[in-house]
Amino acid sequence: MEDVITEIPPPSRFFQEDLNNFAPPSQPLPSPFLLFSDPKTEPLRPSLLIIAISPPSLYLFDNLCTKTLIGSLILPEIPFSGNSIEPTPADKCCNIYELNGAANLTLLVSLKCPVSAERFNIVAKLLVGKQIIPERVLILGSVQSQNFRGKLSPDETYAFKLETLAERGKGSDSGASSLLEGLDYFPSGSMVDGLAAALLSQCQMRNIRGTLCVSWPDHGSSVVAQVRSLLQKNVLHGFDLSSSAGVEDKHLRITQIKDYPFDSELYT
Amino acid sequence: MEFITEPGKQHHPDCSTLILPALSIGNVGQLAVDLLVSSTGAERIGYLDDPYTLPCVGNDAYGPIPSGDLALPLEAYQSPANAMTLVQQRSPVVKGMMVEYAKNLAEFAAASGKKHVVILSSLEFSRWQKIDMSSGLQIYYLSSSNTDGTDDFCAKLGWRRLQDYDPTQRTWNYLSSLAQGSTMHESTLPFEDEPEEEDYCASLPFAALFSCLKAKGLKVTCILCYCSEGDNMADSFELAEAASKLLQLKPDNFIGGDDGKWCIPFSWKTVYGPPPDLSMF
Repeated sequence: MEDVITEIPPPSRFFQEDLNNFAPPSQPLPSPFLLFSDPKTEPLRPSLLIIAISPPSLYLFDNLCTKTLIGSLILPEIPFSGNSIEPTPADKCCNIYELNGAANLTLLVSLKCPVSAERFNIVAKLLVGKQIIPERVLILGSVQSQNFRGKLSPDETYAFKLETLAERGKGSDSGASSLLEGLDYFPSGSMVDGLAAALLSQCQMRNIRGTLCVSWPDHGSSVVAQVRSLLQKNVLHGFDLSSSAGVEDKHLRITQIKDYPFDSELYT
Repeated sequence: MEFITEPGKQHHPDCSTLILPALSIGNVGQLAVDLLVSSTGAERIGYLDDPYTLPCVGNDAYGPIPSGDLALPLEAYQSPANAMTLVQQRSPVVKGMMVEYAKNLAEFAAASGKKHVVILSSLEFSRWQKIDMSSGLQIYYLSSSNTDGTDDFCAKLGWRRLQDYDPTQRTWNYLSSLAQGSTMHESTLPFEDEPEEEDYCASLPFAALFSCLKAKGLKVTCILCYCSEGDNMADSFELAEAASKLLQLKPDNFIGGDDGKWCIPFSWKTVYGPPPDLSMF
């Protein structure tokens, strides 16, 4: 048993490198960029930009047939090997689609590749405010248990929202209603970090109507059903986000196993 | 770093004292800024968009009933009654970019006409070399007023200058040259592999902020306390009270509740996680 007096203190809330002015930075990377199949000199101005990050939302949009691939976010550090020519659910990429049949131009960004922490801000600025200037943004993310200060039961589903000032109608006379009316706000004291946070921050600072919807857990047919219901009721009226039950359960099981790899350190 | 004014708000040029937290053990500086914002009724006037701050968002941290007001990683508040601006930092800095971040913050402070910058930070208790608890929690300071880091007013308050500060020490010297614009390369670091005991204080975020703000010609005061990591609310009260004394803030300008001048932010109710599940008993 370790000597509690003389042993090294337990881990801090900070990593050591967070408190070290001289920690070596990561190797610089080439800038990410957007690539469109039909490049235009003017920015795209969708009525709604949906950015799917959470596994349930990615699954739902993978099964949506009424979308057209129009471009991609290219992160030079992410290899293309293993990806298909035509997008498939297993690809590690970030594709941009136009949703067919929407009353106004609606774009979907499906983020299925990892983004490192030092890239969050630059990727968020790329997606919101430069080549794409949306009127409204919906980000679909996950509740992160390590940043949540309430109780999260694995047997229950939760969904919360955070909105920008513009979306809440503050400082404007529009009087327009919230995109996800009726959904509870994310509890105070808990935080969301990562790309979802970077995107919503950009919306707030650029005075864009933005909503972040975070759901819990990341896997299971219940949470998929909850996110589907939210989207169909509030955002994508008339879009068919359903899939056959057998395919859904099989995909969700495979995704859950893939995201929780075998921990070999248990047997060292 | 870009400052973005919140719609409908304005920057008060008279709020020329700037209070900043430095990332430090126990998050004490950040908790102290939370306390000062909450207790002075400071109003958020805008945000700082910095490429080196990691992103985070949350619901209103101050309450009393959070109504969905978004909290961002770097926010600027002002309290005209106290002539002060406060910047709250809620997330860490990208690895290896602390000095660049400090330079950006110093640039903002100078450009927005700040005259005095107060940095709130803690130091690790295990590094305290001469423990003296005879007069309770001892506040330490570091000031740009004199070359040796001393300041007459801070001394009159009973504070002690940070023992480990020596502007000629290799790491403090190196930090000072970085703050003045020298390019940093790994080969020019003042230590070879790992920093030694003498390099500890200068490697902390408060030192980067102090050096960069001083390089801009601003008056800078660091207020420091030693602590261990755990429930650090009590430490944050000490730091906030020290800041209040340094700036001679009037008690009438605080909106504290039943306990006096301090008003505890709503988000502190769950800062250390939810209560334990009592059903197991």
